[in-house]
Amino acid sequence: MLRRLTPYLFALPLLSFIAVFTYIPILQSLNLSFREWDFLSPTKPFVGLDNYRLLLDSREFWNALTVTSIFAVISVPLRLLLALFIASRLLRETLVSRLMRGALFLPSVTSTVAIAVVFSWVFSTDYGMMNALLTGLGFSKVAWLQEPQLALGVLIFVNTWKQLGYDIIIYIAGLQAIPGELYDAAAVDGGKRGHVFRRVTVPLVMPTTYFLLMISVIEAFQVFTIVDVMTGGGPAGATDMLVNMLYRVGFTLFDIGLGSALAVLLFIFLIALAIFKARVLGRKVHYEA
Amino acid sequence: MIANKYKISVAALVALLGSTVLASAEIKVEFWHSFGGVAGAALDQIIDNFEAENPDITIEAQEIGNYNDIVTKLQAAIPARRAPDAVIMEVTRYGLFADRDVLLDLTDYVEADPLKDDLYNFAREVGVFEGKNYIVPFNSSTPVLYYNKAIFEQAGLGTHTPLKTYDDLLAASKQITEKLGDDGITGIAAPGQFARWGLIMDNDSDLIDSVSGEILLDAPNTIEAYEFMASLVHEHKVASPDGVTKENNGRDAFLAGKVGMMINSTGNYGRSTSALGDDLVVLPMPCNKVCAVPIGGAGIGILSTSEKEVQDAAYKFVSFAASPESNALWFSETGYMPINKYTPEQPLAAAALAEKPGIGVAIGQLDFARGRPRPPVVTWMRASEYDMWQAMALGQRDVSEVLTEFAERTRAEAERLKR
Repeated sequence: MLRRLTPYLFALPLLSFIAVFTYIPILQSLNLSFREWDFLSPTKPFVGLDNYRLLLDSREFWNALTVTSIFAVISVPLRLLLALFIASRLLRETLVSRLMRGALFLPSVTSTVAIAVVFSWVFSTDYGMMNALLTGLGFSKVAWLQEPQLALGVLIFVNTWKQLGYDIIIYIAGLQAIPGELYDAAAVDGGKRGHVFRRVTVPLVMPTTYFLLMISVIEAFQVFTIVDVMTGGGPAGATDMLVNMLYRVGFTLFDIGLGSALAVLLFIFLIALAIFKARVLGRKVHYEA
Repeated sequence: MIANKYKISVAALVALLGSTVLASAEIKVEFWHSFGGVAGAALDQIIDNFEAENPDITIEAQEIGNYNDIVTKLQAAIPARRAPDAVIMEVTRYGLFADRDVLLDLTDYVEADPLKDDLYNFAREVGVFEGKNYIVPFNSSTPVLYYNKAIFEQAGLGTHTPLKTYDDLLAASKQITEKLGDDGITGIAAPGQFARWGLIMDNDSDLIDSVSGEILLDAPNTIEAYEFMASLVHEHKVASPDGVTKENNGRDAFLAGKVGMMINSTGNYGRSTSALGDDLVVLPMPCNKVCAVPIGGAGIGILSTSEKEVQDAAYKFVSFAASPESNALWFSETGYMPINKYTPEQPLAAAALAEKPGIGVAIGQLDFARGRPRPPVVTWMRASEYDMWQAMALGQRDVSEVLTEFAERTRAEAERLKR
């Protein structure tokens, strides 16, 4: 009996931790999404699907979903392509490549708030370094953080700069796991560089790509700090992401029920997206060379 | 030898028990506030003075962040039963907390306190929500007009340049931008929300009527005021758009000597004098159609969940902080307005008024200063106004259309909150 229970007992501390800090809050959020509450009232009246209805009828929700989707659709492929390209150039164990890996990884371990503050000054219209450079070269100033499309572009740039180092390191690990004989065989068969990359490297690094894709899509849909510090969702909602909206609804407008409904919708959306990716891409992932 | 050890042990035990009893007799008041830097140091001094007079009370002050941060953290702390005993609350945003009985009704405390007769009328009024007193003001402010004398001179403007109306502001801003734009200097900082509110009041209107609660976002004078403010950025380009997406950017640029004028709270007096020294000039708010300024800042509220003796101790501190001596220290260090009628007579305040030019401008505005509305919908309205302002100031949407729609949404939200 005890022998049967032993593995569960070993797992129990971690399971309890996850339950307390993940599963119970998820269930609590689900419960709150059917209620009206402002954190302050002693009662939390049940309102059924009202919060979901309100959310799906609101222009802000659809705007935030669109903006977040655009952000994900542009930033995820950009990150992965750049990371794969740079990783393939930094594979060799030289001093320069090690220094480059370190330098590129540095933003990943730097405070996101600090990065966002620095870049918000870099891209400031009248006082920023970027426009000082442009005007110095004879161009006119650009309203980086005030033009809706540009502001989103700047956020994508900053997020890519911050996350790229991590993707590169993971890709380097994936690339180093590809057996050298396969490249030798391809070379013997007269395979050209681009052809070998497409036919050997890309398929064999697919498990890494798949992992990074899963992680980066989730990250893209949960982006918050950079947006909050740099634009606050502005100008006029042009960079308002789902998590920004969730924070605003819950913690500025005191509508915890609506905020929880948004969190639940985001959760369902990400699960659905993960299943879709598993169905479409999962089949193309081979873990053996 | 053994007897001695025994005696020493007993004495130590008695001392330990004694200190525990003493420690438990000491009342601790956890106080959340939003002051760092010069203001934080002044507050610490007030707390030290209070504790010296009341050795049985300890004020555990914590700087939480800005007003929004306090509201956010308080929201999370209440259900977690980790709320403080006293808290700084911005004057338009405490209504929701009062409405939900989170804040203690201080009416009986205030009525029994001789302080009530010493406070200026605005200071009494600002803490009252639906007939009951919920906060006692601590850092009160109005917006004032700051300008940089050096920039004015470089732009060919004198110290007698009229800055009374919207047209005056625009003319001066244009001249500065035209003359000094190549050096990266702009005429005026894009007005922040407090300044916008002031400029709307100067145009004989309001966002929400503070007496009747009527929503005035789409009133003609409000629309006109927003049209003027938005035009400074996108039409006349005399205000940097940087200050539209991040309000503090406008202020920081002014402090860095890159902006000619700024309308901002009197609470910025300390940092403005530090940054600009003798180049700083402080003027009253313009009076476009009428002279009117909003009362801003915050007061101290006490949580209804605290124990009675802690509430009593907290009120003692609240009253002490509003006393002429404490208020004079606070006023002279920060530039926030006096709330106590006897503050200006205090040596510290008198010295500040004599030696710090411009620090008394806000006092001169008290004759036409008005409290702002504080029903629960104000929190929603203020949080949502930023997006509307950005759309208007950056020229993305028509002012009248934005405000008409915003007014309707605010009315609907007010109804929802009432329900």
